[in-house]
Amino acid sequence: MRPILAGIETEYGLLVEGRGAEEQVDDAMALVRGYPGECHVGWDYRYESPRADLRGFKLNQLAFDPEDAKFDAGRTYGEAHEIRSDRVLPNGARFYNDHGHPEYATPECLSIFELATHDCAGQKVVHRAAQEFAKREGLTVKTYKNNTDFHGASYGTHEGYLVPREVGFERLYSNVLPMMVARQVLVGAGKVGSENSRSVPFQLSQRADFLSEKANAETLYRRPIFNTRDEPHADPTAWIRLHVICGDANMIPDATARKVGLIKLALALCEIDQAPTWQFRDAVRAFSDVSRDQTLQFRIELEHRSWTTAPEILESYFAAAEQCLDLDEEMQWVIDTSRALLIDLTGNFERFRRHVDWAAKKHILSQFVEEEGIQWVDPRLRAFDLEYHNVDPDESLHSALVQMDEVEPDPLDVDLLASLEGVNEPTRALARGLAISQFNKHLLGVCWRTLTFNVDGKPIEVDLPPNIEYPSQLREAQDVETFISMLRGVQ
Amino acid sequence: MTDGDRLTRPLTREPGKKSGDEGGPSAPDIRKPEGGNELLRRMKKIDPDQAKKYRQRSGE
Repeated sequence: MRPILAGIETEYGLLVEGRGAEEQVDDAMALVRGYPGECHVGWDYRYESPRADLRGFKLNQLAFDPEDAKFDAGRTYGEAHEIRSDRVLPNGARFYNDHGHPEYATPECLSIFELATHDCAGQKVVHRAAQEFAKREGLTVKTYKNNTDFHGASYGTHEGYLVPREVGFERLYSNVLPMMVARQVLVGAGKVGSENSRSVPFQLSQRADFLSEKANAETLYRRPIFNTRDEPHADPTAWIRLHVICGDANMIPDATARKVGLIKLALALCEIDQAPTWQFRDAVRAFSDVSRDQTLQFRIELEHRSWTTAPEILESYFAAAEQCLDLDEEMQWVIDTSRALLIDLTGNFERFRRHVDWAAKKHILSQFVEEEGIQWVDPRLRAFDLEYHNVDPDESLHSALVQMDEVEPDPLDVDLLASLEGVNEPTRALARGLAISQFNKHLLGVCWRTLTFNVDGKPIEVDLPPNIEYPSQLREAQDVETFISMLRGVQ
Repeated sequence: MTDGDRLTRPLTREPGKKSGDEGGPSAPDIRKPEGGNELLRRMKKIDPDQAKKYRQRSGE
């Protein structure tokens, strides 16, 4: 199967002692700007198109959350680029302020395990910046890799996948949506309680309560399961970037890899038009029902008075993939481990919870509920839920479980640090990262799609096609002219 | 004490007596000696109202 380039962008929660959501944009700006590592300052926004829709039109404006907008009353923040405070790292990642959340967008990766490592390295970046910010301000600063504040505000962990334009919206939507609904069983991060009118003690997904439509281009309000934003970050005549916004932030890297791998399986089947077909009676309701099913049956209502289950949907993708795709080791790992987990879900929960965030979290909370004799509405449970996602390894409940060997381990620290210095794969992130580490003083603009250099006072823009192999010899370029020449030579 | 209590109450081991001294099979200790209380230690330090105080801007 064709290798699929993918990335993860995570908005982190930010809590600063004595300050509230009103000051969060200012605090996130200050936190990002104080990042102590090597970086390029700035971002080239020319190719961004958040209002373009895959269905062939453009929105006049994106919806906003009226409750959230109240926090901005009477405030001015300056120009967009000042608010975003972009930093680009030597590994090609982007670190910036997005609506008051420090956001780490990983470099594009081919391997799901490389991507999981970069996603984990993002926690290090955010934690370093938070520590510096705390030191400067003399305040306690906490950051969280989660997706909810338990008061109705959500912030995203988005995945991006490079897909050929020729696939088109209709096929992409119908082929991938069932996977988005079903994969929660294996990769949900888990959440105590509900943030909409239907109450529940615990659910699989942090995002399900915030998904109110099947498909649209919104991300801040009226969020959909399937996001139709058409912002390819590459030649738009050749590529789509599937922008997945319905997933959770995972603390277990094993789950991060599986989360991405499952969508890749659906995409690979979609490209050859061999994905299983499932017609949900109500996709939004199905997403919510799977998230909230306390029986672990995960029943989903289909059209024509039929029904299935999330595990059956997952298995339909696995069977189709084994029949139709030339699977590489990683994709076979996704299938094999997912199948094993579906068996363990009901047969060996102790093994299941090593790999799945919602299960690891639910286990420790259930023990507490039982030992203390409390109800699931006890506020301590939400506090523990939040602290599972604390980015500080000395405070995080997830990190405690890693120490106790109760969940799958994090990548080695040496690998995380190395992944902040550069990338191992021959992707365009290699070129972007080298431009920052070697030729930053020549850089006029950086974005996912291009690099713009100042050479002898003239701007020179170099396109970075996403589907070519960037040679490691780029590391040997001694001057910017040679680097540009080598980049153009590989296209 | 009811029979139910007797059945569900966890057994307390005599001090100094190691698992296996009785000669019968025993469940493996899945927790590592140094890390066994780390989760509990951290949970005890958490402000019970931490999530109540946690308000965020809506993100993407």
